[in-house]
Amino acid sequence: MSIIYVLIPLAVLIIAIAIAVFFWAVKSKQFEDLDRQGYNILFDDDLSPEEKKLADERKRRNE
Amino acid sequence: MSSTCYHCGQANPADTPFTITLLGETRELCCPGCEAVATAIKQNGLEDYYQFRTEKAAKGDEQILQTLDALSVYDEPALQEDFVYQTDNSKQIQLTVEGITCAACGWLIEKQLSRVAGINQVAVNIAERRALVSWNASTITLSQILKTLQKIGYRALPFQPDEHEKSFKAENNRFLKRLGLAGLMTMQVMMLMAALYFDWFGNIDQETKQYFYWVSLVLTTPVVFYSGSVFYIGALKALSVRSVNMDVPISIAVLATFFAGLKSTLLAEGEAYFESICMFIFLLLLSRFLEHRSRHRAATISANMQQFVPVTANILDDGDKPTQGLAKSLKAGQRVLVKSGETIPIDGTILEGSADIDESMLTGEFEPVHKQVGDQVFGGSVNRVGSIVIQVEKALKEALVNQIIRIQDAAMAVKPKAAQMADVFSQYFVVAVLLIALGSYLYWSVQGSEQAFWIAIAVLVATCPCALGLATPSALTCAMARLNKNGILLKRAEALEQVNEIDLIALDKTGTLTEGKFSLRHTWVSKGENTDQVLAIAATLESRSEHPLANAFAADNLLHLSDFKVVPGYGVSGHIAGADYKMGSVVFTAADSADFPAQANVFLSRNDSCIAAFEVTDKLKSNVIETLRLFDQQLIILSGDQQRQVEQVAQRVGITTYYGGHTPEQKYQLVQTFQQQGRKVMMLGDGINDTPVLASADVSVAVGNATDIAKSTADVILLKDKIDILPTLFNVSLQTKRIIRQNIMWAVGYNFCILPFAVGGLLSPWMAVIGMSLSSIIVVTNSTRILK
Repeated sequence: MSIIYVLIPLAVLIIAIAIAVFFWAVKSKQFEDLDRQGYNILFDDDLSPEEKKLADERKRRNE
Repeated sequence: MSSTCYHCGQANPADTPFTITLLGETRELCCPGCEAVATAIKQNGLEDYYQFRTEKAAKGDEQILQTLDALSVYDEPALQEDFVYQTDNSKQIQLTVEGITCAACGWLIEKQLSRVAGINQVAVNIAERRALVSWNASTITLSQILKTLQKIGYRALPFQPDEHEKSFKAENNRFLKRLGLAGLMTMQVMMLMAALYFDWFGNIDQETKQYFYWVSLVLTTPVVFYSGSVFYIGALKALSVRSVNMDVPISIAVLATFFAGLKSTLLAEGEAYFESICMFIFLLLLSRFLEHRSRHRAATISANMQQFVPVTANILDDGDKPTQGLAKSLKAGQRVLVKSGETIPIDGTILEGSADIDESMLTGEFEPVHKQVGDQVFGGSVNRVGSIVIQVEKALKEALVNQIIRIQDAAMAVKPKAAQMADVFSQYFVVAVLLIALGSYLYWSVQGSEQAFWIAIAVLVATCPCALGLATPSALTCAMARLNKNGILLKRAEALEQVNEIDLIALDKTGTLTEGKFSLRHTWVSKGENTDQVLAIAATLESRSEHPLANAFAADNLLHLSDFKVVPGYGVSGHIAGADYKMGSVVFTAADSADFPAQANVFLSRNDSCIAAFEVTDKLKSNVIETLRLFDQQLIILSGDQQRQVEQVAQRVGITTYYGGHTPEQKYQLVQTFQQQGRKVMMLGDGINDTPVLASADVSVAVGNATDIAKSTADVILLKDKIDILPTLFNVSLQTKRIIRQNIMWAVGYNFCILPFAVGGLLSPWMAVIGMSLSSIIVVTNSTRILK
């Protein structure tokens, strides 16, 4: 059982880090607009032109 | 077959000439505005927008070129001082963007702008309908940025968040942090304490138990002192003015439980309820946060209305040389030149010249008013014909438009009654809770029970109106989200409850029922006249007129015109192809109205004998008649326009009660009269002249293309310029009312049922907390039904 004397403080430490990250996220305005960012992944604008063409072709074939 | 516009979703005209190929198919569009926007989007390779959007776009601007020209005003350095932040070599601005309907819009704007040379950064916030743009001042101007946005269909205007909103936002972030911390800690503490309660490890020895208590104490401390601080501050504030609020019993319960737990941990004896404290704080914070957010949202929406709309003025110096200046910096006594077609920047008296002035934005009357030297003119009205010099009477702060805004502020300040009632009720409630808790403590102490302290705490927790606190805000938040999805913005959440009581709907005519644009409905010509030729003559005469009716006659085949004259209030006259023509009212053209049907309202005469008559009317918006049929409430029309025009529209939509020719003051009084008779009035309007009446109505609705002032007064804003979404408002508010009632009944019922158990000592604090949480969860789940 003595393992809990190590594991629980470790958990507390991880929680402290999680809270620090959360506070940073709030401070850097990541919670200001929750509707928008979820859609970013739908837009293929981070693909290079060649990849985009391939993606379009795949789409056409599936239709 | 009637189709709908691929871009904005409105009905297309029959055989629409506007089409575009998008996503591999030919799409029909409703107007040149939408066509221009769709083309701009396609040319920029942003067709993906159409694939991923979840809502149709806002309608394109048909007068796009004019609008674009007007934007150059924003490049004035004097104007920019107020709302542009300058860093080393870049400028930053916050814009409110009209026309954002879904997340794809945000993507479209960001893509479109990031492609423009000179733009450093763009961040679009969909929820607030705003964009933060920073740009390099040496490569691009602000007006170019605004133009780029306008071309893809978004109207952006500079904007400055006010202090009120800044504090709201800071508060929001503080809430988020407190809530996040409390949530994470609650999970940890709960895990440890669950182990103790259920003893999953098998016989936990005293040492381990003590260790768990210490860890929980460490984890709970920040929750109590950081997350929970809102409640202590609230309680102290109330106590300092010798009053009590909900925060008082909450603070007592939290602090007493915490210090009792601290004591038992230090002395290694007795019980501690750290998990109860954490969960209690977390759930209470959650309900506060929900409430705050719904208010914050409303505040943001109304702040967006306070756009920075700069008005420039040509100030004359001593040598009569005009210099451009800002209307807001004008002082009483200065002289200002207002040319034909310009907006009068400020209230003043005419010193030189005379002009026809369109005061429709103040009075609702389309007919321009003729004004001469010595007459008063008002800021915001438009100079149609003639050039005048005016002397400034009052600084802009005291101008008439601003006075209207102030009347409306005063009217709004007296509104909330329900909130005051709730405050009074909660005071009594809190006193009762404190007395019951104290009573149970004393009773059990006298009985010699060791548990007296924990019983008192259980009473405080069990009666905590947490679910009751969540009942209304959670339902309102869900209702607002649902309405928002349907294109209805709710600025004042309480308005939703009042919608149910409405039994009289007052509608403005122009801009609400009709499009506010005139069109020719019928033409009658005397025997021996050629209709085409008559129309050509009419078009020629009206081509020089600034009167709003003139647009109805617009045509390309104009004839040669000389001796053109405008007789304000009557009509126009001119010399065409060897004859004198007059066009205008019955009196002016000396027409015998018996010759023509009664509907005719514009007449044309040649050499003083009437040759034709026209019926010019304002077009009804689509679906108006069908929508109005859905309402059980009494409908009336309340308009500033002439009685005859109002009558026509009323007959067409089937409304029997109508009031024409009303000034803003009269409209306001009429609504007040109705209210004194015990009627609950909903007012729909769009113009500045509707603002006082909007403010005094029980629920006010601004229709889509409304003026900014009307939007800032209204409780509800329809995002589209049609009223066919209004029934949704009624449905959702009815549902919300039902849900709120269920929630309150559940919450109050639970509190009352649990109270005897708590007082009777059958409930330990942790049970009270679990019961309270379950009750809250039930309430929130019930509220989310509105979303479906």
